[in-house]
Amino acid sequence: MPEIGREDRRQFLKVVGLTGAVAAGSEFTLSDLRGEVEGETAGELAAMGEAIRSDLVGTLDAGLLGSELASLEGQIERLPELRAMGVPAEDSTEYQTLAEPGWAIHEHLVEVGFFGSVEEHLPEFTPEHIGATAREFINTAALASALVELGYTEEELTSTVVNVVNNKERLAMWVPTKNIPAGVEGFDPENIAPLHQRASAGVLLWTDYLDTYLWQNEVLLTETILDNNYGDLKQMYAGLHLLASAAEDLAGSQELSDAQLTAALSAGAAMMIVGQEDLTNDVMRITDEMRAPRTGGA
Amino acid sequence: MASIHQHDAAVEAAQKIEMVEVEDGYTLTNVPEQSITQQFDIEQIPQQDVTQQMREESAVEDPTSWLMYGGNYQQQRHTSADVITKDNVGDLELEYLVQTGVASSMEGVPIVVPGDPPVMYQTNGPNHAKAINARTGETLWSYTYANPQGLLLCCDANNRGFAVHGDKVYMTTLDSGIVALNRYTGEEEWYTSTGDHEIGYSATWAPNVHDGKVITGSAGGEYGVSGFVAALDPESGEEIWRTNTTPAEEWAGDSHEHGAGTVWMTPTIDPESGMIHAPVGNPGPDFDGTVRPGPNRYTIGTLTLSADDGSIQWHYGESPHDVWDYDSSAPKIRVNDMEMDGETRDVVISPGKTAWVYTMDANNGRLLERSQETTQHINMWKMVPHVDEDRRVAFVPGAQGGNDWQPPSYNPETGLVYLNQHNAPHEIFWEEAQYEAGQTYWGGGLNDWPDVTNPEGWNGNISAIVAVDPVTGERVWREWISGEETSDYLWGGSITTATGLTFLGTQKGNIVAYDGENGDRLWQFQLGAPICSSLSSWYDPGEGKQYVAVQVGGSGWLHGGRRGSTVAVFGLSEN
Repeated sequence: MPEIGREDRRQFLKVVGLTGAVAAGSEFTLSDLRGEVEGETAGELAAMGEAIRSDLVGTLDAGLLGSELASLEGQIERLPELRAMGVPAEDSTEYQTLAEPGWAIHEHLVEVGFFGSVEEHLPEFTPEHIGATAREFINTAALASALVELGYTEEELTSTVVNVVNNKERLAMWVPTKNIPAGVEGFDPENIAPLHQRASAGVLLWTDYLDTYLWQNEVLLTETILDNNYGDLKQMYAGLHLLASAAEDLAGSQELSDAQLTAALSAGAAMMIVGQEDLTNDVMRITDEMRAPRTGGA
Repeated sequence: MASIHQHDAAVEAAQKIEMVEVEDGYTLTNVPEQSITQQFDIEQIPQQDVTQQMREESAVEDPTSWLMYGGNYQQQRHTSADVITKDNVGDLELEYLVQTGVASSMEGVPIVVPGDPPVMYQTNGPNHAKAINARTGETLWSYTYANPQGLLLCCDANNRGFAVHGDKVYMTTLDSGIVALNRYTGEEEWYTSTGDHEIGYSATWAPNVHDGKVITGSAGGEYGVSGFVAALDPESGEEIWRTNTTPAEEWAGDSHEHGAGTVWMTPTIDPESGMIHAPVGNPGPDFDGTVRPGPNRYTIGTLTLSADDGSIQWHYGESPHDVWDYDSSAPKIRVNDMEMDGETRDVVISPGKTAWVYTMDANNGRLLERSQETTQHINMWKMVPHVDEDRRVAFVPGAQGGNDWQPPSYNPETGLVYLNQHNAPHEIFWEEAQYEAGQTYWGGGLNDWPDVTNPEGWNGNISAIVAVDPVTGERVWREWISGEETSDYLWGGSITTATGLTFLGTQKGNIVAYDGENGDRLWQFQLGAPICSSLSSWYDPGEGKQYVAVQVGGSGWLHGGRRGSTVAVFGLSEN
């Protein structure tokens, strides 16, 4: 999980609209803030969620999503085991196994046009939308508590959300496909997947790579890099779980309100995006300062 | 000085071709309608077919030959010829100059088929080629390929040389094809297109022939193509297999269709195991990774295939999910039976734009060692803030590396690899305009040195010659090259000899011989135009001489340098 400092907390509180005494920068968890932040105004998130719901209810396979979500939760609970495993063996498929239920959910959602609908009805990652999403997420105990049941601590969830909110510039680089203009030399935007699909596919493609990547690069790895790998995966999979839970709720019990549905989808994608970028920087781009010492061929 | 023919229709056709700058690259105009062969005294060419065994013995077991781009299949660029030594290299003399008559990109390696006389086969841009008596420099035939109108060329009208097999030589063509010529007559035998040049595919590297297959690749990554490696039948040109480098299952959505990952330099082959080690370029689009999330396998690194059927064996990525244009296009070096960690290992050595040398287990791609940095590392892998139009970051190695395409060499005598490296900073920037509908969407842009803000800590040297021990990763010696020594970056490869010498050329036109053990400059010769090619060397028993050949002339991305049109050949008698 990313290290969150005083300045990070101050910036976060500013984005979610908490100033004054609470914004002094003291340590807090999301639970501490629940009820302190104001929910959305004018029902903007609810309107987005309602539009998505009306597009998708009836198209999703509740049975498939329910069973794969349960499998995904089982895999998320294995994350500490994967950290304990350290560097995978040559023929390991442990990380590919982690990704399997995520792929099943992802492929179903692609098949029914879920990602296209979500992208159509949700806005870009503007600071305003990120702030509104964060406030809704903070105030929705059910979204966080599901993750707590899977082994996430309050501190981990808090640092994930603070990290997402404070990375609004990186999130803004992920442009919805509908906003990518045509007319590009040799480059067809028709081939770019919707934003939330890219976020999810990225998480799963990175996970599939880890068995090979960690094994091939053991000579460069340190315990710090492996710890970061674990933390970044937790971040990514919190996001994937939120997205999958929202889809499963939409297909079945529909317990989430429209605004909460929007918050789960937007926050989930944001966590997946920031998480995979952190993974890239923490684990894949190993500088001389980060790497294990050269052994000199001995 | 070699003779110059009064009339050469192939040269005249090539001289009329003009390379003109267009919006995102270059194209050719005044191209001939038909390919042209001009024959001279072709009876001088000994009619002896080149065999698989001859190629496997090239340069190392048989120092009288240099039968392929990298000297041998393993691309060590090493000759066992030992006439030229550290003690007598000062006596090396210019033997002859071949005036190709075509002042274009000169990035090729002359290959030499042994015989009486040995015959040199040489190419330069734009797809002009010659057979030459390698003793006298006399042109025996001359050829110009008829490229079509409308080519899209990112960087120059490059061609890097022939492959040879049987009675044929094989050259890639700028319209993304391969043409086979009868090496005794210079006449076309067949042509095969391997990619659609109208959507940006092109071809510039020297192909390779192995065990009944012509191995070729793909260029055009800047134009949103999808990379591949392919094998053709040497007799007919028919495709035997093709392996795509951006398979759909490794990419999000349909982004693989513009995923690039082109293989635009000559693959390395280990004849014993039948492995092909292909150098793979950057993912596309270059600077915006958000539309292609994930590691973007199998880009930027080494992709190992079976020569039998093209099946993927392993891949090692040097910059997963790259957004800095950090290709790994330099040819890979295969070394078998290297002593490492107390074991005898077969390894693949890869210098990339990341300015490290990667030593990998040849059987599975596991990293055995990554070297000390070969250039400076400043702001490396730093993401450019995407906030406003003027935010940019100067970084080293820049988008040219480290090690761009320029081929490294290996010397089994010293156990070192030799690298021509870039240390010039570049700047990547985001453009706010990308959000406006109807505007082009590049995901950013690039400023080339010297039009950058020099980053803090940069030492001012734009290039370096570096020797690295691939076993320990130790940088054994490094000679920084200042702007005074070379007007621009180094843009060609090196070779090594059994006597411990390393030869290479500079942009200022010097061919230089180094003591490979310590980096001392032992000899140099001024040739008057930039050297952007990679050399070759052979021993001619009929003359009792060792030769070193180098093409002289400008070329390249962004800074072409002054054009030349010469092949310079140096020689030294053994007594």
